[in-house]
Amino acid sequence: MEMLKVDGLSKRFGGLQALSDVSFNANPGEKLAIIGPNGAGKTTLFHLLGGQLPATTGRIFLQGQDITRMPPRYRLHLGLARSFQLNNLFFNLALIDNMLLALKGAERRHFEMFQPLNARNDLVATAQRLLESIGLWEMRFAPVATLSYGDQRMVEVIFALSSSPKLILLDEPTAGLSTAEANAFADTFRQLLKDREDTSVIFCAHDMDLVFNLADRIMVLYFGQLVAQGTPQEIQTNPKVREIYLGSEGS
Amino acid sequence: MNKANIAGYAGTSWRDWLFAYAPYIGIGIILLIIPAFISTYFQSLLTKVLIFAIFAMSLDLILGYTGLLSLGHAAYLGVAGYTAGLLIARLGLTSFWIVAPAAIVMAGIAAAIIGYISLRVSGVYFLLVTLAFGQLLSVVAVKWRAVTGGTDGLVGIIYPDFGIPGLTLTDTNYYYLVFIAFAVCFFLLYRLINSPFGKALVGIRENESRMRCLGYNTWAHKYIAFIVSGLFAGVAGVLFAPFYGIMVPGHLGLMTSSSVMLMVVIGGAGTLFGPVIGAIVVLLLEHFASIYTPERWPLILGVVFVICVLFIRGGFGFHLSKFWSRLRIRYGNAES
Repeated sequence: MEMLKVDGLSKRFGGLQALSDVSFNANPGEKLAIIGPNGAGKTTLFHLLGGQLPATTGRIFLQGQDITRMPPRYRLHLGLARSFQLNNLFFNLALIDNMLLALKGAERRHFEMFQPLNARNDLVATAQRLLESIGLWEMRFAPVATLSYGDQRMVEVIFALSSSPKLILLDEPTAGLSTAEANAFADTFRQLLKDREDTSVIFCAHDMDLVFNLADRIMVLYFGQLVAQGTPQEIQTNPKVREIYLGSEGS
Repeated sequence: MNKANIAGYAGTSWRDWLFAYAPYIGIGIILLIIPAFISTYFQSLLTKVLIFAIFAMSLDLILGYTGLLSLGHAAYLGVAGYTAGLLIARLGLTSFWIVAPAAIVMAGIAAAIIGYISLRVSGVYFLLVTLAFGQLLSVVAVKWRAVTGGTDGLVGIIYPDFGIPGLTLTDTNYYYLVFIAFAVCFFLLYRLINSPFGKALVGIRENESRMRCLGYNTWAHKYIAFIVSGLFAGVAGVLFAPFYGIMVPGHLGLMTSSSVMLMVVIGGAGTLFGPVIGAIVVLLLEHFASIYTPERWPLILGVVFVICVLFIRGGFGFHLSKFWSRLRIRYGNAES
């Protein structure tokens, strides 16, 4: 069964048709990139998939289950986690507290009021493993606001990974990073996914090196419409895509 | 950044342990022996401080930790106080073991009803709805004379009876009762704010939409925090009514709600002992102001509040904990 099935998804903001009739599937373990110029509807699509915005029409299925109208927390417990284009963390809290909140959230049992959260050695150990993978364990007592922007981007990604999701949505994980940082990101991310072969990833990026480096399949959004999808090679040679990115001749 | 800045991360060395817990133990011992050294007047003032400290800590749970600006918190103190008062003064049920649970449960029920409605909205609307409920209850207390005594107040609330032979509640014994209640509330709230639930409340204060994406039911967290906060305010109310001996409608209304909010803000919202310091500062100021210039007391309180907000950002508690963590780093082997 496909991991994610999107069927005729549309989103309208007043007079603006942000997404129109987008349909696609994502298979287990697939790394799916969504590209497109600014304003193409990439972030809107992520908000619809993550439950931050309601869809106008269309349906979303996660492993066959209709999640179109489900609030974000149910989606998370079904195995869908996401990161944000703008760093969206608990900036005033220590890094370790950020991680423990993320790990605890993925558990089913909440509302425990007596045992300290940081006495949960299993969660602390998982947090240590995740933070060590991005080289930030030593910084665990620092408020997230004091970390560098690039480090915060990495924390966004391991936040999404902390619930051991089946499907991860990464909204421009390398936005604002330098080329060197973006390359380091690609390596680290591949490392993080090494023992999660069934985990599907849908990400969008403007950085074509990253896209061709990580993606198994690429989809191109343009003014809210899905204009092309295929393997990186197919997309590279697709005339329509070349027109969007390079402009049509004689214009 | 260092470990000492983060509540709940005590180290392993004995010095670190000492620095982490010595303040609590020290203050506990002082509060335990102090009645032997002060006049009954100051003992009564201290009793009042501890009752308001419980009340302010309960508000801090939703104001400082969860980020919910409630201006109707006196409602739960008042509901518990009136419940205790009605049982003791009207029905003659003086057993502590009946009065206290009944009053605390009534405060919890009031919080459950008010919270269910007011948490439908957020921000300044939440503030207005909680304010409205507090005022509503105080109007009920004014109008429902047959039960509440109206503006004359509900009088004759005597100290409850413990049913232990040989133990009668004198003023000093009542101080110890309040002290024990304060210590228990402090301990329970300390555990609560470091628990997964308490940390989740801070997460909601910092970034509620992100908490939803991380799998938390943020509404239920806020609602339960609201009820728990009401229960602790109820504890303060049970102690409050026999201490004053009278409940008046003003105890339910805006004046009480705003003065406890001042205690939390002056002391330091989002720290556990901040509200305790706030209760001490506000009540001591009130005490001295009422000796010298009773009619200018609101003016003095207003000036102190402005000074605190302008120059002591974060409140006394915040700066005290910063100072303490600096000491811990220098002398206590805390990891830095």
